[in-house]
Amino acid sequence: MILMLDSAMRATGFMLGFAFVLQSLEHIRSFQNEQLIFLPRLLLALLLMAGFQPLWVTGGLLLLYIIALHRFQGPYNGGADRMGLLILCCLFLAYLLPPGYWREVVFGYLALQLLLSYFVAGLVKVVNPDWRSGTALCDVFRFSAYPVSESLRVYADAPRLMWLMGWLVMILELLFPLSMFAGRGLLVMLGLTAAFHFANACLFGLNRFFWVWIAAYPSILWLQSRIM
Amino acid sequence: MMKTIQLLLPALVPAWNFFDSIGPSPRIHYQLLDGQSKPVSDWCEYHPRPQHVSFGKMLRRMVWNPRWNETLFLVSCAERLLAEPTAHSEHEIFKRIARTLLQQPEPLPREQQLRFRIVLLYREGSELIEETAYESGMVAMTALQETVTTA
Repeated sequence: MILMLDSAMRATGFMLGFAFVLQSLEHIRSFQNEQLIFLPRLLLALLLMAGFQPLWVTGGLLLLYIIALHRFQGPYNGGADRMGLLILCCLFLAYLLPPGYWREVVFGYLALQLLLSYFVAGLVKVVNPDWRSGTALCDVFRFSAYPVSESLRVYADAPRLMWLMGWLVMILELLFPLSMFAGRGLLVMLGLTAAFHFANACLFGLNRFFWVWIAAYPSILWLQSRIM
Repeated sequence: MMKTIQLLLPALVPAWNFFDSIGPSPRIHYQLLDGQSKPVSDWCEYHPRPQHVSFGKMLRRMVWNPRWNETLFLVSCAERLLAEPTAHSEHEIFKRIARTLLQQPEPLPREQQLRFRIVLLYREGSELIEETAYESGMVAMTALQETVTTA
């Protein structure tokens, strides 16, 4: 699949804008000082989806992101916010730079970080004996803050299933970089990782991760068509 | 400026070490006290999980999940409070508990006070341990009510 840089940036802008719209709506009925950040953010996110003046819009969103980081003294939702900020910075710089080498480097950096987000996450798990034995995933279900309901905690008492699921996740994450060299295999891999994020959203309530991570997928599809 | 760079750097050069180890997990409990600092309620878990969430509700939460995302933010605040106590984290927790209590239909007596604690859950061998790791001071609900309405 051939994906041009402009199309990939446009697709990422649309998907990131959608993720920001959902996030902003969640803050609209919150405290007044959150509304002051998230109402304009909602408007700019809609403009980003529409592809209107992307340089100025991503610049404005970046400024609001920095204000929100100060407001919450860090990210509101950990990794999802950090990935959102990374995508936004790369998109802003890519629009700021003239078409050519440096624009490709910036957008390629986003693709590289997406690749690392899976590979490093797999690596840090596979070196941990608790992950290899399935104990870590049992613990996630047994006492962590993530399962969305008490009924899900029964999976902590299914060690064989947790062992299997843990290894499937680690294999998926560790094999991700190889899919770059597998032609259409990358599309299959992105389908599997999106399904993984979807499962995390359902079981652990991490819905923001799903929308933000898939917003970075066009960058890796573009990078594959650029280097292959 | 330095603070901004400190906040931006983890996003620009991320570590990506999600779930590398499963450490102690915090829960926030709160308690109401009367004007003489005598408890008028047991410790209650803030935003406890429901017993069951249907698949349909999980699908709806893909696009609308404010309460859960706030719970995750409070988990971050609790972890920050234990790692490096700051007034900001304590204030965020107080403010959000107070807002929930003030939204209840029955008004709270004006002289009531609020406090919270952070309980850590972790596994030791096959045993699940609960340990109180932090207990806040008491704050008058009237002061918190003012914060909630002006924040």
